[in-house]
Amino acid sequence: MENKKSNTKDRELFISRTFNAPVELVWEMFTDPEHIANWWGPDGFTNTIAEMNVIPGGKWDFIMHGPDGTNYDNKSIFREIIKNKRLVFDHVSEPKIVFTIDFIAQGEKTLLNWHMLFESAEQLMEVARKNGAVEGLKQNIDKLELYLANMHTRSN
Amino acid sequence: MKTRRDVYQAIADPTRRAIINMVASESHNVNAIAEKFDMSRQAISLHIQVLIDCGLLDVKQQGRERLCKAHLEQLGEVFLWVEQYRQHFEKKLDALEIYMEKIKKQRDGKQKK
Repeated sequence: MENKKSNTKDRELFISRTFNAPVELVWEMFTDPEHIANWWGPDGFTNTIAEMNVIPGGKWDFIMHGPDGTNYDNKSIFREIIKNKRLVFDHVSEPKIVFTIDFIAQGEKTLLNWHMLFESAEQLMEVARKNGAVEGLKQNIDKLELYLANMHTRSN
Repeated sequence: MKTRRDVYQAIADPTRRAIINMVASESHNVNAIAEKFDMSRQAISLHIQVLIDCGLLDVKQQGRERLCKAHLEQLGEVFLWVEQYRQHFEKKLDALEIYMEKIKKQRDGKQKK
C-alpha cells in the first residue's frame, strides 16, 4: 500500500522477519551488549562495544575492527525503549539513519519489523552503492553462518 | 578533481526525479519541461545537463524543437544496489537467527542438567 502521507518513501528501507523465539529472547539479543556483539557486525570483523546504555538518550558506541585493521566507529543514541516492544535509535555516525525496530510477540514466536529511515535519498544511494560494490559482503555473512554452525556442532 | 557523475547522483535530486518521470513515457520538448517547474530555465537546463552527463537522457534537435528522450536502462543498477543493501540487513537477521538458536540450545541444555 502506498504511504501517501509521508514523503520519505525514497529514503527508507523496511524488512521484517518472524523468529522462532519468544519476544523476551529476541529483545535480549538486541539490548544485551554481550549478545549483540556476536551477530551485529560483519564477519571478518571483531567488534568492541565501548558503551551501550539502553535508556532514552543513552549512547551506543559500537566499534567494528575490519580485517585490514581499519576501525569503523558506529555511534548511536537510543531514542525510545519500550521493553519487548519497540527500540528506536539514531545512528549518528555517517550514514545517518533512524532505526525503528518493533517486536511483536506471537506466542512462542516473534515478528520483527525493522525500519530504516535515511537522512536523504542521496545517502541511501551512497550506502547502497558502497555495499553493492563490496561484493564480498554476502560471502562474509555466509562464512559467519558456517562458523556458527560449526561452533554449534562442536558444542554438541 | 572532476566530480564523477553517475546514475545515483542523477536520481538523488527530486527535480531530476520529476524530470525523469515526465520523459519516461514519452519524449518532451525542453521548453515544455521547463514550464512544468517553478524554477528558472537555467536551473532546469542544469538538471537536464546532469541527466545527460549521467546517460539517462539525450536531447535531439528536431526542427525548432529540442526533444528530451529518456534512457532508463541504467536505473536497473540502482534498484539492484538498494536491493543488495536490503539483503545485507536480511543477512544480519539470518545471523541473529542462527545465533539465537545456539543460545536457545545452550539454555535448554543447562535446564535439563
